[in-house]
Amino acid sequence: MSTVWRRAMPLVRPRYLLLAAVGAFLAAWPYLGADRFVLHVAGLTLVWAVVASYWNLTNGFAGITSLGNMGFFAIGAYTSAVLAKELGLTPWVTMPLGALVTTALVTVLVGLPVLRLRGIYIALLTLAFADALPSVITIFRTWTGGGIGLLGIPELLEDLEKWQAYYFALVFFVVAQVTLLLVVRGAPGLAFVALRDSEAFAQALGVDRFKEGLRVFAISAFFTGFAGALYAHLLGQISPAMLGIEQFLMVISMWMLGGAGTLLGPVLGAAIITFGNEYLRVAGSLRLGLLGLAIVVTVLFFPGGIMQLLGGARRALARSRGSGRASPRTPGAAEAAAAPAGRTSEEGR
Amino acid sequence: MLRVRDVTSSYGDIQVLRGVSLDLGDGEIVALLGPNGHGKSTLLKAVAGVHPATGGSIELNGEEIRTEPPHRIVERGVAYIPEERYLFPDMTVFENLRLGAYTRRARERFAENLAFVYEIFPRLRERRDQACRSLSGGESRMVAIARGLMSGARVLLVDEPSIGLAPALKKDVYEAIRNINRQAGISVLLVEQEIEYALRLAERAYLLKKGTILFERPVSELDVAHVKEAYF
Amino acid sequence: MDAFLNSLTSGLIVGSLYAIMAMGLTILYGVSHVFNFAHGHVAVVAAYLVWFVADRLGLSLPVGIVAALLVMIALAAGTYWGAIRGLLRRSEWAFGTLLFTLGLAILAEYALLELFGPRVKSVPAVLQGSVRLWFGRLTLNDLFLIAASVVLMLLVGAFLKRTLTGQAMRAVAQSLPGAQVVGIDIDRIYAATFVFAFVMTGLSGVLLGTKTYMTPHIGWEWMIKGFVIVAFGGLGSVPGAILAAFLLGVVEALVTLFLGAIWIWPAWLVTFIVALWIRPEGILGGRSG
Repeated sequence: MSTVWRRAMPLVRPRYLLLAAVGAFLAAWPYLGADRFVLHVAGLTLVWAVVASYWNLTNGFAGITSLGNMGFFAIGAYTSAVLAKELGLTPWVTMPLGALVTTALVTVLVGLPVLRLRGIYIALLTLAFADALPSVITIFRTWTGGGIGLLGIPELLEDLEKWQAYYFALVFFVVAQVTLLLVVRGAPGLAFVALRDSEAFAQALGVDRFKEGLRVFAISAFFTGFAGALYAHLLGQISPAMLGIEQFLMVISMWMLGGAGTLLGPVLGAAIITFGNEYLRVAGSLRLGLLGLAIVVTVLFFPGGIMQLLGGARRALARSRGSGRASPRTPGAAEAAAAPAGRTSEEGR
Repeated sequence: MLRVRDVTSSYGDIQVLRGVSLDLGDGEIVALLGPNGHGKSTLLKAVAGVHPATGGSIELNGEEIRTEPPHRIVERGVAYIPEERYLFPDMTVFENLRLGAYTRRARERFAENLAFVYEIFPRLRERRDQACRSLSGGESRMVAIARGLMSGARVLLVDEPSIGLAPALKKDVYEAIRNINRQAGISVLLVEQEIEYALRLAERAYLLKKGTILFERPVSELDVAHVKEAYF
Repeated sequence: MDAFLNSLTSGLIVGSLYAIMAMGLTILYGVSHVFNFAHGHVAVVAAYLVWFVADRLGLSLPVGIVAALLVMIALAAGTYWGAIRGLLRRSEWAFGTLLFTLGLAILAEYALLELFGPRVKSVPAVLQGSVRLWFGRLTLNDLFLIAASVVLMLLVGAFLKRTLTGQAMRAVAQSLPGAQVVGIDIDRIYAATFVFAFVMTGLSGVLLGTKTYMTPHIGWEWMIKGFVIVAFGGLGSVPGAILAAFLLGVVEALVTLFLGAIWIWPAWLVTFIVALWIRPEGILGGRSG
């Protein structure tokens, strides 16, 4: 009995208990009296959480400054929607197809050229890529609906209910997060960490920046494209507005406010931004100002995002309990205290 | 002139200097010897302010300069000649020298200092309109030292001036440092791998090992074998 | 043939304005390695200020330009000393400054939206009337824009070559540690570069505002155009940016003539990707100064 108990002990760490509780809540939410609007927003949150998490995979974990992820999302959404609408295929076939088309296009059109470049050039080319897509959508307006958007996209089920949409999003979210965990904790993740910390050393160990980068791009494109496809078939309508600067900024702030380079951060960020955005719809342009303010304040004062704040709170709690066990793993917090490596010191270049 | 006491410094978690003390007198040439990676360059950088000294004190003519930013230290008359040279590659030799005289005091004495520099390194006068990108290793080294002198420095911190040069050029560079010291009375703190050269030039030598000073002697009491022994 | 020449001329005029716009961005990047995502918005804010003073308040255009430039200087100094300086001291400075300027751009857009509303505006033309040339008519304002761009480019060249601050800026761009050891106060030069870049960018916005329309939103478009030009020409390279600006201005005009305006962005992107494949460091290489 006691051996079994000891073996099981690691599983009852507070963090797993919390995770289990949150999971149970998410699974039971529709039965806990959540109304249709809340379920709608929650479903959107789950989709955006995946997009933000995989954006964070390229930028926060792999150190590739991609700014084109909304482009991946749009390719997945449009491919799946157009296939389903024009060819009459079921969304269950077009969604994976959309994700695969996204993966192929992104790796060839963006991944291959981008990964030969460095730093800011990557940011520029990926941004230009996403920014050229509205024109492409307009050029193919017979299928895409041009600037007005695409309406009447076949939904996942006939007469899709909000609670059903929510569960589909939840399943997708769980699959995506588990995959992300495997990628980050597995061999690819280690390779990225090595590349980010010391490229020379990683290469000496046989890590190939180009190959690993391409793999990250492919994984990120697949799940982001899939998220786009799911989004299209959950809502039944899409428009080039998803490529607009506001949507771009909102998703980028999700993982940034949540905590770049953390697993949980982008999810928390997605929840806050999506719910905040929906409940502030009445506020109109004020949302824009608040978003800008949130980004500026976060960068200046909490570079590690919400996760840094939580880490700080947990450390404070641990200290008051007299045990100094908690460890800071948010990049901003831990590294700000380290050696001066900024642009104003000799080591900066 | 320069008084260093118990200086500590680190890169990230690795402490490189564990309390170093040394003195550089007026018009003196002092060699700082020791194995690679034991903190010689870090000490020069700490004095120049380009890498922070976390503790101890660095005094110049009795004034504390440890926490001053690099440009203030240059203004006070200390020039650091980095091993990496850090020339401005797309500028000509003359433009590099002109930027060497960036501080107000140095600009006022520009013509005078330029004449002195050309006297020490006549070759730079010939190369004055050539882009630094196209200079040979020896010439770049000369520009680096000359650019440091243009600031009107009274103290020169020279890091490995002969590294990567052919023997004949090494001798030229050392001759130049000797002339700088003799003709202008500039104090020189010299970090050098080649013990023979260093000991021929310097009056005193410190041996820095594992981030602390192992010993300090007048050069007359040192011989090469003795120093080399201490390296291991 | 006349249509072709007309479009070529208009491409060159727009190109010269893009060149002015890109110069601030490329010099700022070359010196401080900060990529200013608020670049387009800085231009738009300046253009709006000129519009406000000259058109709404009914004061003269020069008064408007002086007022806008004063605001640019204050904004640049505030941005550097208040935020960028601290961000550059972090190990994640590249990403931090990127996000900060992004946030700044949103705030600028929001401020413009609140103050002046979403409607389309333009800066009043500097000169009225037009002249007849052998292939068609050219407005005096277009001629003024060409002259102003050329003068500005020459002034920038002289500033970088002849003044102490300009030389120090080039020094920092070519070797940061080198600049440190000759006694350049890096903070001061960064701040000066921000002021310089914001003033140039503001001027380009005012000039562009007389040629095209503007909305609070158009900063994003100007920013991305600036990006492509600067990346195309080689980050930090002034001649590269000028060359790329003219090239893309002409490409834009010809694409509009032969294919239609909708193809502008795809054409820019294709040019950009091809250029980066051939020369990953830009058309003139990543050299600075």
